[in-house]
Amino acid sequence: MGTYILRRLLQMIPVILGATFLIFAMVFALPGDPLAGKCGERPCSAAYRAAFTEKYNLNDPLLVQYGKYVGKLATGDFGETYNQIKVSDQLKQRYPVTAKLALMAILFETLIGIVAGVLTGVRRGGFLDNLVLVSTLVVISIPVFVIGGLAQYFLGVKWGLFPVTVTSGEATVYQLLLPAMVLGSLSVAYVARLTRTNLVENLRSDYVRTAISKGLTKRRAIGLHALRNSLIPVVTFIGFDFGALLGGAIVTESIFNIPGIGGYIFRSIRSRDGASVVGAVTVLVIVYLVVNLIVDLLYGLLDPRISHD
Amino acid sequence: MRGTARTVAVAAMSAIALLAAGCGSGDSGGDQSSAAGGKTGGEITVRGCNPQNPLVPSNTTETCGGNVIDAIFSKLVHYDPETAKPENDIAESIDTTDNQNFTVKIKKGRKFHDGTEIKAKNFVDAWNYAAYAPNGQSSGYFMEPIEGYGDMQCTGEGDDPCAGAGNAKAKELTGLKVVDDYTFTIKTTEKVSNLPVRLGYSAFSPLPDMFFKDPKSFGDKPIGSGPYKLDAWNKEQSIVLSKFADYNGDFGGKVDKITFKIYQESDAAYNDVIANNLDITDEIPTSALIDDKYKSDLPDRNAQKETGVIQTITFAPTKVDPNYADPKIRQAISMAIDRDTIIKQIFNNTRVPATGWVSPVVDGYKADQCGEYCKYDPAKAKALLQEAGGFKGSKITLSYNADAAHKDWTEATCNSIKQALGVDCVATGVVDFATFRSQIADRKMKGMFRTGWQMDYPSIENFLAPIYKTGASSNDGDYSNPEFDKLLVQAAAATDEAEANKLYQQAEALLAQDMPAIPMWYGKTTMGWSDKVTGVKITAFGTIDFTSVSLK
Repeated sequence: MGTYILRRLLQMIPVILGATFLIFAMVFALPGDPLAGKCGERPCSAAYRAAFTEKYNLNDPLLVQYGKYVGKLATGDFGETYNQIKVSDQLKQRYPVTAKLALMAILFETLIGIVAGVLTGVRRGGFLDNLVLVSTLVVISIPVFVIGGLAQYFLGVKWGLFPVTVTSGEATVYQLLLPAMVLGSLSVAYVARLTRTNLVENLRSDYVRTAISKGLTKRRAIGLHALRNSLIPVVTFIGFDFGALLGGAIVTESIFNIPGIGGYIFRSIRSRDGASVVGAVTVLVIVYLVVNLIVDLLYGLLDPRISHD
Repeated sequence: MRGTARTVAVAAMSAIALLAAGCGSGDSGGDQSSAAGGKTGGEITVRGCNPQNPLVPSNTTETCGGNVIDAIFSKLVHYDPETAKPENDIAESIDTTDNQNFTVKIKKGRKFHDGTEIKAKNFVDAWNYAAYAPNGQSSGYFMEPIEGYGDMQCTGEGDDPCAGAGNAKAKELTGLKVVDDYTFTIKTTEKVSNLPVRLGYSAFSPLPDMFFKDPKSFGDKPIGSGPYKLDAWNKEQSIVLSKFADYNGDFGGKVDKITFKIYQESDAAYNDVIANNLDITDEIPTSALIDDKYKSDLPDRNAQKETGVIQTITFAPTKVDPNYADPKIRQAISMAIDRDTIIKQIFNNTRVPATGWVSPVVDGYKADQCGEYCKYDPAKAKALLQEAGGFKGSKITLSYNADAAHKDWTEATCNSIKQALGVDCVATGVVDFATFRSQIADRKMKGMFRTGWQMDYPSIENFLAPIYKTGASSNDGDYSNPEFDKLLVQAAAATDEAEANKLYQQAEALLAQDMPAIPMWYGKTTMGWSDKVTGVKITAFGTIDFTSVSLK
């Protein structure tokens, strides 16, 4: 197990390096003008343009730019955004907010999703099963900005149950509750359906029949044996989803004005702000890799047949 | 339905907003207690956006930073929020007898936020810093009329024009002289009758001595001279201003504290205003502009005002594209554009049809300078085109930069031209603003292309000289009319303001004959506010007037 983890950690190094270079190259290749909008509605003056280009090495070829960037990165300097704000400061401020939001969304989708999945899986074809099936279908087919926009309008603006926007770097759990539910709503549907399908399949399998016929209560047979096996794909999904929620909460973040990482990456890509994009995505890649490792380790816990030795 | 991913999303969002509004329109009426007045003190929150540069007046030309700079820096003159007329602020007097040598006397006892007194050299140093090209200040070009500006520019080629021999020859403007602590003189290269009007722009703000010691950290926490001082700038989240206790100018504000909350999307800010979580938003989202929805969402808590912005369509220089050389063809195209319908359909009435080349908000504006040529008349347009012998090219083209929301209106404009004239017209997107501008600057763009102008200072001159004077910096169509140039020179030399305006108006009238660019529409700003505040006014620049806003 120890050597397995070590090997996986070592594998991360080339992945991270490769990812930063690819992202850097892609940002470099993007069309668009980093100076657009810097001077309002008109082109920037020549003096400003020259100073800006010089400051951010924009005239250098790709490899030189990347070399300068990685050189700085090695000393722990993430560089500056085109707004002359330190990228590291932004990442420090934004990642906790996004992580909190994503964790709450994960918690929400796991709790509701698995409970709904188990209840419907056990009583297949019943009223609850049909209700969950239809409601998850509805949730899956509505885009997030519709759910978010409606939730914000009714629960926030109209009835005042939740704050309308977050707008603060020190977001409280209460402020993030509504965005987290919106963000997790799509995944709830997936988790519920995934759990249900797997559970239904496993309930039909031999080992569950054996367990019941050997005298185990149905509750124990489902809870201990069938559910544990059914959760493997669900855990895989949730692990992947955590990474996706971190970087992909762009719509939710913009609706609720959450100063998180998704909107930051989006905006940086649009302004071709290489330092910001690469900095934010590098951290994201690391999170992905770590979460993947945790998921792989969890398999062993859920299914003793899977071993990492 | 055609449109970018973004416009589709916006349309969908507005559909929900409409739906949501339809579901609950219970709370009508509303209480209107104190209409005007309001008390002093208290704090307000306003929508902000991310400043694109450090907060240094000479390096800020975009509105996100400009809104903050305006509140924390005083200038020699201050523009009246209603009429945009300049009135003395720090200046005691600005005198000239020949429109070329100006003597500026400043008021004694005005202070920077660090307690030091504002002296003449604070102006001179700041302007020199802005004009010196190696400093790379975005609004350095405002110093251009001052004598000695040319020697402070870099002449090199390639990547860094300031490297080696190309470096600027001088570090100071020869036209600026400090006479004593409270007096300095300005000498301009040519006669400039409206120089005092220009001095209200933020690029002309005085800077304290400590700026020059460390410009970089200054941009993070600027020390200004205005009615408000900057307390904190939480990057990408909020900017907090509070009343400057020692402010002794005439344009102080009523509230004690102003917090700019930074929003990425105007929808979020707008919803916060409806829920009274935000006091003022200076941008109403498209979803709320449709059918004037904001007026029912925020009854008696909204305002709309014209601002000093004009959208035009410029013709490529004749040597680049001879097909448009005949003024009659240009006039015919202008008359073929149904401005009213386009404004209604595409801009939800947030634009005003242009009747000339100068915005109505400035001193010297004269209505209807374009006359019949800016009125939609397909029959006359067609007749005029035939008179000119028809259009020689295969099709009319209208280019725009595709990285901003110009696709819809350029296509609508082309459709209008096509229908009225019977000549094919195509709206052509150019990938981004930089490419678009460089094609225009290199004189490679043919046909017609969109051009816009946002005024720097409220003067009729600002809408004419920089754009249509022979060889002017923004003269994208290489327009040249000796008569026009002569009138501008005469106007710049006129010592009487009314006389100068009259000459500028005569010059503008010439544009209707030659039609170097088609006036399309003037910009408008719409604001909405919470039920906690009162006295919200929009300035001619489309910004919030912080001298009048207060809590109820």
